[in-house]
Amino acid sequence: MTPSDSSHEGQETETPLKTKRSRPDEGKVKEPAYHRVKMSRSDLYKPPTAEELNQLKEAESLFHCSLLKMQMEELLKEVALSERRKQQIDAFVETVTKLLQAVPDSPKVEMSDLSWLSGAVKVPFIMLPKSTKGKFNMAPPASIDLIGSYPLGTCIKPHIVVDLAVTIPSDVLQQKDDINQRYPRKRALYLAGLAQHLVSSSEIGTMRYSCLHGNRLRPVLLLTPPNSSLTLRVHACPPPGFFKPMRFHPQKNNVRTEWYTGQETSQSESSQPSTPHYNSSLLGDLLPRAHLQFLTAVGSQCSAFADGVALLKVWLRQRELNQGTGSFNGFLAAMLLAYLLTTHRISNTMTAYQLLRNSLNFLASTDLTVNGITLAKNPDSTAPSLSAFHSAFQVVFLDPSGHLNMCAEMTACTYKQLQHEASLSMQFWDNPTVDGFHALLMTPKPMIRTSDHVFQLCDLVKLHSSCKKLNLLSELMDHSGDYVHTALPVILSLLQQGLGQRICLLTHSLSAAPEWSVASNPPKYKDQPPLSFGLLLKPEMAASVLERGPPADSPQAAEFRQLWGSRSELRRFKDGAITEAVLWDAKSMCQKRLVPRQIITHLLQLHAAIPASCVRYVAAMLDDVISTGREVPSTGEEESLAVVQSYDDLSRKLWRMEDLPLSITSVQGAHPALRYTQVFPPLPLNLDYSFFDREKTCGSLVPKEKKPCPPYITPITVICHMEGSGKWPQDHLAIQHIRAAFHIKLGELLKKHHNYTCRPCPTHLDVWKDGFIFRIQVAYHREPQVLRESVNAQGLLVVRDNEEARAVEMATIHKPLLTSTLHGLQQQHPCFGAVCRLAKRWLGAQLFSDDIREDTADLLVTSLFLQPAPFTPPGSPQVGFLRFLHLLASFDWRNNPLIVNLNNQLTAADYTEIKNDFMASRESLPGMFIATPKDKKMSLWTKRAPSIQMLQRVVIVAAESLKVLEQQLMDGSQMQDVRVALRPPLDVYDVLIHLIPKQVPLLKQAVDPPAVTFSQGVFPGGGFKSGGALPVIDYNPVSLYLAELRDAFGDLALFFCDPYGGTVIAVLWKPKAFIPGAFKMSQVSARRLEVRGEEVNAVPNVEAILADFQIMGEGLVKSVEARTDKWSV
Amino acid sequence: MAPSKKKHVRSESCVIPGGFTELSLQFSSDSVSQHKLYVKEHRVRADKSSRPLDRTLFVLNIPPYCSKAVVTELFSQFGTVHYVELCDQPGSSQQTEPTVSPMFKPAEKQGFNVGYIVFKNATSIKAAKSHPHDVPLVVSTEQHPVKTGVQKWIQQYRNSFISTDKIQQVVDSFMEDYDKRKEMEAEQQRKEAEQQQEDEEGWVKVSRGNKGAKARPYSEAANQRTLQKEIKKKKRKELLNFYTWQHRKTQREHIAELRKKFEDDKQRITLLRAQRKFKPY
Repeated sequence: MTPSDSSHEGQETETPLKTKRSRPDEGKVKEPAYHRVKMSRSDLYKPPTAEELNQLKEAESLFHCSLLKMQMEELLKEVALSERRKQQIDAFVETVTKLLQAVPDSPKVEMSDLSWLSGAVKVPFIMLPKSTKGKFNMAPPASIDLIGSYPLGTCIKPHIVVDLAVTIPSDVLQQKDDINQRYPRKRALYLAGLAQHLVSSSEIGTMRYSCLHGNRLRPVLLLTPPNSSLTLRVHACPPPGFFKPMRFHPQKNNVRTEWYTGQETSQSESSQPSTPHYNSSLLGDLLPRAHLQFLTAVGSQCSAFADGVALLKVWLRQRELNQGTGSFNGFLAAMLLAYLLTTHRISNTMTAYQLLRNSLNFLASTDLTVNGITLAKNPDSTAPSLSAFHSAFQVVFLDPSGHLNMCAEMTACTYKQLQHEASLSMQFWDNPTVDGFHALLMTPKPMIRTSDHVFQLCDLVKLHSSCKKLNLLSELMDHSGDYVHTALPVILSLLQQGLGQRICLLTHSLSAAPEWSVASNPPKYKDQPPLSFGLLLKPEMAASVLERGPPADSPQAAEFRQLWGSRSELRRFKDGAITEAVLWDAKSMCQKRLVPRQIITHLLQLHAAIPASCVRYVAAMLDDVISTGREVPSTGEEESLAVVQSYDDLSRKLWRMEDLPLSITSVQGAHPALRYTQVFPPLPLNLDYSFFDREKTCGSLVPKEKKPCPPYITPITVICHMEGSGKWPQDHLAIQHIRAAFHIKLGELLKKHHNYTCRPCPTHLDVWKDGFIFRIQVAYHREPQVLRESVNAQGLLVVRDNEEARAVEMATIHKPLLTSTLHGLQQQHPCFGAVCRLAKRWLGAQLFSDDIREDTADLLVTSLFLQPAPFTPPGSPQVGFLRFLHLLASFDWRNNPLIVNLNNQLTAADYTEIKNDFMASRESLPGMFIATPKDKKMSLWTKRAPSIQMLQRVVIVAAESLKVLEQQLMDGSQMQDVRVALRPPLDVYDVLIHLIPKQVPLLKQAVDPPAVTFSQGVFPGGGFKSGGALPVIDYNPVSLYLAELRDAFGDLALFFCDPYGGTVIAVLWKPKAFIPGAFKMSQVSARRLEVRGEEVNAVPNVEAILADFQIMGEGLVKSVEARTDKWSV
Repeated sequence: MAPSKKKHVRSESCVIPGGFTELSLQFSSDSVSQHKLYVKEHRVRADKSSRPLDRTLFVLNIPPYCSKAVVTELFSQFGTVHYVELCDQPGSSQQTEPTVSPMFKPAEKQGFNVGYIVFKNATSIKAAKSHPHDVPLVVSTEQHPVKTGVQKWIQQYRNSFISTDKIQQVVDSFMEDYDKRKEMEAEQQRKEAEQQQEDEEGWVKVSRGNKGAKARPYSEAANQRTLQKEIKKKKRKELLNFYTWQHRKTQREHIAELRKKFEDDKQRITLLRAQRKFKPY
């Protein structure tokens, strides 16, 4: 999509915003614009009915605003199945049922004999070990019933899955079939038989195998009708009550070791290892009908049951907790609500909203890993005790029969994640300043955007050897050879132990159930997608390089040594203690952030025999683009700190300054470098003086014409407020002159007392200190006021806002305030600065720097930290950056203000006020509206830019970049170049101006730095010598050129450039400028007149403009490339 | 440029409705493309001495790299140029501010300009207007090269250095001026105040002028404050929820408020639904 296209679209979709500019446009979609409703007086004041009163009161008391209630209702409408859909489903179910009932009988054969199956269908089971006893024959099903969410009415869009239970006739099975996988194999054979029967039918679109929740013991058959997206999942079940539930006690063994290993052992039956997972997966097959009955009975008493389950399912799905092995799926959600209803924790009359709230509250406060819950009212005597379940499983939630643990496959980590999510949701639910609905139910939380660090285990076959190393053979037998899920819980607890205090949560991806075609064998375990793990870091501990263990002589020392192996060594500390300790090597902040990576690779290598090459650590892949390229890799934290320290010193010296006519009341930084958010923090340079010309009078260096451009030295703005006094003149010009006098005086004093090289100017004072240039600007707090005041004809003193006053206010009040506030934020969140820098680097690279300015970008990032819901504040630069992109792409800029609650100064009432003001005057406000405590109505920072068209463009590009990045980060098999997201698409622009790289001072900061380098008049290896001539300050030909271009052709075209070493200026003609307009004296710039009879039209003189691009950038421009013929009017 | 011009066959000058004549302008003699200048004699109703009507040429569309000196140079082929004025929009010149040193003026926009060129002789205007449109004016010549791009920026950088003494000097002289002006104003005020005093015979001179507004508040803000105070006073005197009808009224207001909010929310929802904002994934 080209920007011009998007601008057209912008006009279409954003019409209500710009009624002034809207042209009569046939294709325009009529959109309901928001107008405040004007209810007539009679409507407002008519006597209320009792019903209406109730409704109003409910809305007022139950929900903090009726909006939330309505939003939830709308959401439910959106996910509910339509009547048409239900008919479709019913029809399909009927067809399939008929087909299945016609399955032909087949003769009894040995189970290992598969000759009765045609080649077109394979058995969905990995037959390992091969040997198996028993006979099998196909027979028509005993019964076919709907089970699961569809008959219960809790089935929601999208991915509609309808479960169909097909009962295997009892003469196919034998009583002892539960031993040694005989029953699961028979079931697989039975499914294959069904598939063989259905494969020729034309009423079925596609047919695939899968397995229930990724459990390979429980294959299912997926049927899809032609041209429809719904899925019918066919389960094969034993007849109800065929096996006795007590045979599946978690401590019983049903898979014999000698059969599984194929070796004779002398173990008696009682000493065989128990097989709880095997048992529960078999038991699960026996009970679905009973569960459905139970849920239907409970649900029929509570009118909001189905809606409550639907909301809970949406909530789970947004958190990626509802699918895959060991997930908290929709069935568990329904069971949980049933548990809460039967235990009277919630009442039958509650609404869906309250059901969701109470269940989240329950999850947040109850730890099922320690205190399991049971739905069984009065379990029979054969049912095992809760403690028996706890010893076999990590999470315990028993079904109504009391025999089955429904959370058998769930790991403790998954439950902890669930708890964490629930308590997080409860936190922001009540917070009136958060858009609860959006955070709760609308925002997806994929792992890459939720966890601070993510790593993946790529080569899953290595987990097989870890099972051996960790001595997990009997568990492997219990899991029927699924080495991934056998090793997973052990690895998780190992990592949990090793990472200890550094993390607050360890999560892992729930491997999705594989699907494969009926004509192929089931996929191997090693072919599964890689396992992903997510870490939620504790910012204060995560980056510590030292792991301090117990004292050398304590009994825990051995344990510590066992955990860390050879990395553990005895160390003596300053307090005299001699303890075991592990020291990780990391020097700069960006290396320290990756200490968890060292820990993880070390532990996995040591204990689980997983080589480091299998661990794909996704945490710092983007650091490259903001690295400063010194000897120690660094992402600029150290350099920023150096700047801030130097500034602190300067500020102290200014404070101590005496002999000034007025005293200094405040010294404030007003530059991104002073709040750690400068993309490339300034570095002290060691200049080669012979590279420059000298300016005699001031002793300053000047760039030479024939040489490459000298390095760009950023002036760091410092605002210095002088005390208010009657001595200040109350006239704008006079204030300016006085200020100049102050600059001179300050310069003299700094030179005299501290020997800094200074250069006073009327507008500022440049001080060269520690290799940095500080640009001190003296300010007088009443200046904006003076600019606003004027005396009108009646002699009345009037105060009128104007551009100039606002600019002064921005520079001397708002910017310093923002800088100090954000400086404070960096102290709380160590990765704040890095996120800002990544964000701004991306904006720059995508040529948006002039639309989303530095301060705006910083504010956007700040909002991620101050209002992270539904996430936690970002703990690594990468996750922060991804969320920044997501914010840009998904925030509803048109309907909502982005409120950044700096220093927590805004109250709930303020929020409402801001929102109301915003809605009332939406049309006149900027497209991107950001409110802060000091600026509730104007959106100071985004007043000028971005325009609505550019905002649209930013949204599109951000969404695209996010997609590409997330794919690249989560998929190890793809080409690994995250810089793709930082290369702008140039094909949408009309003209490209290529610059001579030697004249681009910041070339080294480019996304793709050039291979060839040239001297910029700097000796390698930093270091700063004080004294000497002042370097070339703030001289950047590219920005000077851009300013000239914008001055001259700003009404005809837009100019875009990457401020960080971009060598291309992209030009986009404004479509409006190319509509031939009648000749006006004020609009002939760069145009020529065309005379057609009496009519005189002014059209842009494009050839001359292109020539001007070259002329005005003489020495900087390499070539001007016109790419489109759009201007031929 | 003179020799090349003479070789041309005399071609017609190009006149455009509205009284403008088109002149071509190119940057250097080997440039391919040309800008078009549009000139006509300066004609306004209000007579201004700085732009004499008969001798001033009004020029539109002067490219940014043409400074005053360049324009003077360009147009001196039509006769001696007395004075050139460039501004970014056509209109009367405003030189009302007190004289300020250029270093205290805000940076000027470097865009396309309009120019007022005052010639010494009125005949030059005719010469300019009859200049053939296909013979371009050339900005940068061997004799008078015009610096652009890197050269210009380095020059600018060099020029941005102002010695401290000079700044100090400018500041001092300005402040001296300013103080003088202030003193004079104070003097004036004192005199006026004196006039308000009774003279020996007890007469007071009353005149029109801003002194008449003395009784009224001196500023807008103060005006507002008095108004607020009045309103507050009024409110304090009122009794609230005293009569039954008042009580009923507040209740009714409350319900109306709730209804309004409900209706507002409903509207917002419809709006959001129309934009498909409720699809969770």
